[in-house]
Amino acid sequence: MSADTAPLATAATSGRPMVEAQGVHKWFGKLEVLQGIDLEVQPREVMCLIGPSGSGKSTFLRCINHLEKVDAGRLSVDGALVGYREVGNKLHELRDREVAKARQDIGMVFQRFNLFPHMTALGNVMEAPIKVRREPKGEVRARAEQLLERVGLSDKLASYPAQLSGGQQQRVAIARALAMKPKLMLFDEPTSALDPELVGEVLEVMRDLASDGMTMIVVTHEMGFARRVADRIVFMDQGVVAEAGPPSTVLENPATARLRQFIQQVGEH
Amino acid sequence: MSPADTLDPGTPRVRPEAIRAVPVRHPGRWVSAAIVLVVAAQLAHWFFTNDGIGFSTARHYLFDHSIVMGVGVTLKLTVIAMVMGVVIGVALAVMRLSANPILSGGAWLYIWFFRGTPVYVQLLFWYSLPNVVNRISLGIPFGPSWLPQDPKELVTALVAACLGLGLNEGAYMAEIARAGILSVDQGQDEAACALGMNRLQTMRRIILPQAMKVIIPPTGNETISMLKTTSLAATITVAETLGVAQRIYGRTLEVIPLLVTASIWYLFLTSVLSVGQYYLERRYARGSLRNLPPTPRQKAIELVRNWQASRARKAAL
Ligand SMILES: Nc1ncnc2c1ncn2[C@@H]1O[C@H](COP(=O)(O)OP(=O)(O)OP(=O)(O)O)[C@@H](O)[C@H]1O
Ligand SMILES: [Mg+2]
Repeated sequence: MSADTAPLATAATSGRPMVEAQGVHKWFGKLEVLQGIDLEVQPREVMCLIGPSGSGKSTFLRCINHLEKVDAGRLSVDGALVGYREVGNKLHELRDREVAKARQDIGMVFQRFNLFPHMTALGNVMEAPIKVRREPKGEVRARAEQLLERVGLSDKLASYPAQLSGGQQQRVAIARALAMKPKLMLFDEPTSALDPELVGEVLEVMRDLASDGMTMIVVTHEMGFARRVADRIVFMDQGVVAEAGPPSTVLENPATARLRQFIQQVGEH
Repeated sequence: MSPADTLDPGTPRVRPEAIRAVPVRHPGRWVSAAIVLVVAAQLAHWFFTNDGIGFSTARHYLFDHSIVMGVGVTLKLTVIAMVMGVVIGVALAVMRLSANPILSGGAWLYIWFFRGTPVYVQLLFWYSLPNVVNRISLGIPFGPSWLPQDPKELVTALVAACLGLGLNEGAYMAEIARAGILSVDQGQDEAACALGMNRLQTMRRIILPQAMKVIIPPTGNETISMLKTTSLAATITVAETLGVAQRIYGRTLEVIPLLVTASIWYLFLTSVLSVGQYYLERRYARGSLRNLPPTPRQKAIELVRNWQASRARKAAL
């Protein structure tokens, strides 16, 4: 694979986890959505987050790049606290600029794609490297074309999102995130807004990415994908990690009745 | 399957004879149309021949040099006031949506003030201000200052008109811009954030270009309205269309004819802008309407086609 998406030599070589959560809590008003999440994601690991609707999967994912603020506990990415700086034993909130800087290294793919509709596929991919990282246009263009080719869209460079199918849009969204050379990729149900026949093409791109060693956290209901690609599966229920382990253990021999029931329900679809 | 599909494929399909029925008569429509026509004709006749109206005088002044110059000033005022309005409006809209209560409160106050007072009063205010302010200076607040200016030189009547109209328009444009910004899907903001873009980049590159779809059509309306509102500048001695007309009739006492001259110009300019507005709206409706309404040209072509078709039918009978 190209050097574009290889994890940077940070967490990968230092031996520390890429993501580390200790007792992470999140409230929306009185609703305690995350009730103390503890987990670690190692560099190059693919972790699939599963769980019933409303269990807080999206919220946890959004906390990782500070789209939501953590209310209690510690959450760090590649050794740096998310949203805060620690001075002595006091936490200081990060400035907007610092938060934005931290997000540059974390790619995120949304359920509803969220492509920029007024830009072509190529424009979507080139936007952030040029405007945010201020890289030279020529270089970015070459890399963007390469990335779009990699997700199988070399003939759609000049197409606008409205002219693309859902699966194609989501692949552009993945290329757009990869263009920032992230060290961590977050996926929030990347295939649940897609027609069944388009799910495969997106999962294939993700599988490809996983085998290239990208560190990934994937919220998904695609049990087949989770079983084949995930190094570890985390089952969230009511704001806590209810079960975690390799797919063979978690999916084949669920320890809790709740997970057994969940697997049965998802399997029926 | 419909019965037609089950027919023996060898049978040619015969088009059934079209229904021929006596159409419903609408005598009421004819009577009312006749009344309207007669009244309109009378009005037109009175208008064009009445000496008091003096249509020939009005026509005489239509391309008078000073009137044409006045029309130029009207256009200039309209453009400057609208540019100010759009810039101020977008800035206010962004401020109002800011998390900083001072910024959003300040924007709210601005809009409250400028929408709550008549634009005529605002014009008089700016025009009279130099008389009470002795010196305007540019510098650090309460600190040293440089570039002292005579306020009367700085705020001429034209500048006062631009300030009055532009600042007032800003308040109205702010609401339009705010609606535009709010119309953009929240996911766009999140996607931009997730890529590491800051607030300004997100606004400039992602949100505003999409908000334009919603902002531009009503801005066209505002421009048409502004074109007429600039006539208020006549009251503060600005030589725009109405102001020039007033100066001429002040001399010649041909009040009505010159008001007609001015009206013809305003009608002409607003008509041109309305046509532009029509196509602008059509353009920005793309993607939200499945079938765009036909343009006048398309309507005309359609009309001619229908007429030809009905003639052809009649001829065939
Ligand atoms: N911005 C918000 N304000 C208030 N409540 C919220 C907000 N976002 C999420 N919630 C609530 O938090 C809970 C967890 O939401 P979350 O989106 O994390 O669930 P999820 O596990 O991703 O579910 P799904 O599988 O349906 O996507 C839900 O009850 C939801 O209603
Ligand atoms: Mg979710």
